[in-house]
Amino acid sequence: MSAGVAGAGAVPSRTQADALAARRRRARLGLVALAVLVGALSILALGAGAVVIPPGRVVAIVWDAATGAGSGAARDALVVTGIRLPRLLMGLLVGAALAVAGALMQGLFRNPLADPGLVGVSSGAGLAAGITIVLGERLLPAALGVDPFALLPIGAFLGGLASTLVLYAIATRNGRTSIATMLLAGIALGALAGAASGFLAYLSDDRQLRDLTFWSLGSLGGATWSKLAVVAPILLVTLAATPILARALNALVLGEAEAYHLGVAVERAKAAIVVLVAAAVGASVAAAGVIGFVGIVVPHLLRLAIGPDHRVLLPASALLGAALLVGADIVARTVVAPAELPIGIVTAAIGAPFFLWLLLRKRGLFP
Amino acid sequence: MTALIEAEGVAYGVSGRTLVHPTDVTLAPGETLVVVGPNGAGKSTLLKLLTGELAPSAGRVRYGGEDVRALPAWRLAAMRAVMAQSETMAFPFTVAELVGIGLDGAAGGVRGGARDARILAALARADIVHLAARDVQTLSGGERQRAQFARALAQLDAGRAAMRGGMRAAGGGQVLFLDEPVSSLDLGHQIALLEAARALAEEGLGVVAVLHDLNLAALYADRIVALAGGRVVAAGRPEAVVDAALLRDVFAVPLPVHRRAGGGAPFVLPERPRPA
Amino acid sequence: MLRIIVLLAGLPLAGLLLAAPLPAAAAERIVAAGGVVTEILYALGVEDRIVGVDTTSVHPPQALADNPDVGYVRALSAEGVLSLAPDRVIATDAAGPAAALDLVRQAGVPIDVVGEEPTRAGVTGRIRTIGALVGAEARAEALAAEVEADFAALAEARARLDGAQVRVLFVLSLQNGRAMVGGAGTSADAIIALAGGVNAVPEVAGYKPVTDEAIIAAAPDVVLSIARGDHALDPDEVFAMPAFALTPASEGRRLVSMDGLALLGFGPRAPQAAAALMRALHPRAEIPPIGAAEATR
Repeated sequence: MSAGVAGAGAVPSRTQADALAARRRRARLGLVALAVLVGALSILALGAGAVVIPPGRVVAIVWDAATGAGSGAARDALVVTGIRLPRLLMGLLVGAALAVAGALMQGLFRNPLADPGLVGVSSGAGLAAGITIVLGERLLPAALGVDPFALLPIGAFLGGLASTLVLYAIATRNGRTSIATMLLAGIALGALAGAASGFLAYLSDDRQLRDLTFWSLGSLGGATWSKLAVVAPILLVTLAATPILARALNALVLGEAEAYHLGVAVERAKAAIVVLVAAAVGASVAAAGVIGFVGIVVPHLLRLAIGPDHRVLLPASALLGAALLVGADIVARTVVAPAELPIGIVTAAIGAPFFLWLLLRKRGLFP
Repeated sequence: MTALIEAEGVAYGVSGRTLVHPTDVTLAPGETLVVVGPNGAGKSTLLKLLTGELAPSAGRVRYGGEDVRALPAWRLAAMRAVMAQSETMAFPFTVAELVGIGLDGAAGGVRGGARDARILAALARADIVHLAARDVQTLSGGERQRAQFARALAQLDAGRAAMRGGMRAAGGGQVLFLDEPVSSLDLGHQIALLEAARALAEEGLGVVAVLHDLNLAALYADRIVALAGGRVVAAGRPEAVVDAALLRDVFAVPLPVHRRAGGGAPFVLPERPRPA
Repeated sequence: MLRIIVLLAGLPLAGLLLAAPLPAAAAERIVAAGGVVTEILYALGVEDRIVGVDTTSVHPPQALADNPDVGYVRALSAEGVLSLAPDRVIATDAAGPAAALDLVRQAGVPIDVVGEEPTRAGVTGRIRTIGALVGAEARAEALAAEVEADFAALAEARARLDGAQVRVLFVLSLQNGRAMVGGAGTSADAIIALAGGVNAVPEVAGYKPVTDEAIIAAAPDVVLSIARGDHALDPDEVFAMPAFALTPASEGRRLVSMDGLALLGFGPRAPQAAAALMRALHPRAEIPPIGAAEATR
């Protein structure tokens, strides 16, 4: 200002410029480190499992599969290319999508507690998936020849979209989102979806009940190439579209009016965020059931580590989400092999203590 | 000289209640316009109409001849910046990152090392270089206000760069809107912020500010618009607007208005009512 | 449901087909998914060929101790099953998820699914099918004949009952005071009928939660539940609940807890389980020991 313009402040000090550059370098370094982590976990995921396959053979099988050459030992090749590879890719995509959906939701609601799992979007998607499972066969004449699974992502997407829109309409007034209203509405929505799911369970026969239970537990165990073919395009498009929204999300953190002043087409950005969250959560729920915890912990953890700038936060969330889910899946399918743990248990067991430690450290209770 | 902003008969009402009655406002390049009035007079609503945030229920606001509501947000962002009454942020952005958000707003933003230099320049103009790495959530009210001011300055800076880069801006000039920008500042920083705004006006920008302090308004305004009940009750040069009649009729305080020696801006000295 | 019926109708045929081309190439490394499958394999004396069992394989007790656990029958892991290098998976209809089973089949490991029909024919069909799969047809035939004889003895004992109607309410679980009961079409319904009882809730289809008033209206003379390990429902707790306190069962505090797999699994022990239940339902009736196991006890 007057003093500033005339004084030392007018020529920014070297150290402040260096500090800004250092922070940017740190963010870039963080992204590189996360990418390395994802790569390392992916290699581990292909190599580890109940069937013991030497690393050399895994490499040879992947190489053969990539080059189209036939592979010798059918069982090992099937385990790697038919089980571990689609499961790895599904884990990467679903983990990335869930974490990014969490970050988008938190940006939209300007609230670090907003999470598709916490505020009922996942339950909405899960309910719609349940309706598709139980009623899909009755409502759709079998003659149409539509694979019920192909409808699951669409059903789950619509369920996620509906619950996100309802939530936003209830919690937002005059461009301000009430945190308390949002959480309460989310809990109410979740309870409603839970009740409807319970009613579905009552209606369903034994086989449908088994499918429903599978969705509500969450698992990557059902990952196959055909499921991946349905779900991967949706998740890839969703992930590819999010960087465009980074600047809009940064501006939205200041408020909707401020975002408009800053040059954001607010209504369009909000609509895009809602659709992307619904698509990411819907496709994830359809592919792997309801997996909680990733969407809230990953972005929060990264905000503590590398800051809240969405241009870094969104790609970093995708990477850490992918790493968390793939890592959790490795644990889920190896610790009690040949049996398997539900993945939600593992994500919570890995994530929650780390999260608590970070919070405590931030409050100065740990060095 | 063409006007930066022309508002013709602009009005705003919501659910049968009129907040701003049809009003004409113009703003010329280099001009500082200060809006005054008691609480609930419609000052912020008028500002929102002028920034394009609210759609007027009647009339029109033009920037260099173009209807503000028809301009896309990204083009408008290069032409005007708004420092609204500051709110707390949900996420722990640093002050430098907050100012960077201002740079990113208009037409694609600025990248790399140039970005850092521009952020630091805006921080320097708001006298908060030392706060660059601080978490916005931990700032005091006054510090936060200065950080938001720096953010608005960065947006104008980026807007100028975009226009130099060939972006067509209606009218070719920029406007800075300030809604109660000094409400949390100490006296020194009140003066410093308004001096910085004045300096921008001298560079050719238009400045529109809502102020409660009549003395600061009279000191810094080229023109004052006084609002009451959503209507303009007085408009013109400070010495013509700030008088005993305004204080009595609009602010309901029976105080005399003083003149500085040598014909400077008028000023008001609050006094305790005398016992009858 | 239709699938189960089709499957059961096809069982004798499938048994023939499977027995014919695979006489000597009988399974050497078997993963058993489903408690009744494991029970039958042990009864056939081929337990040394089992390489993995699921968590519902609680009989005989050494099954889970001696073999790797491939997890809950409804949540199998494809790679987990394959890691045991089985040449055959024998599963009940409950096994899943479907995607995991598909992957196991793609790896060239056949999966044979046996139905869960809670009938006399269902039990002997399962024994014969599994016998054929493991190349133990003779032993299976003998076991099936034994079971047939047990069922026949049970039917005789049932015919000698005095005809008094004993209404039985099967309670699968009591969570938060809400009873999940066994209605028509369940294996609980079937075993109650075999034991000469009457299901108190025939209008309920499948296992469903019911209200307290529905329990009072059902007016059961006996409450039947399953014991999991050492844990069974406590009569003091059950009959302290208003719904159960107002039933005829409450007067004699008639709560019967039985081993779940024996009672509901419809394996070789089904006639003995039914007989044990029959004795509990009709304490004054003279019911002879059923089968060799009961005779030697």
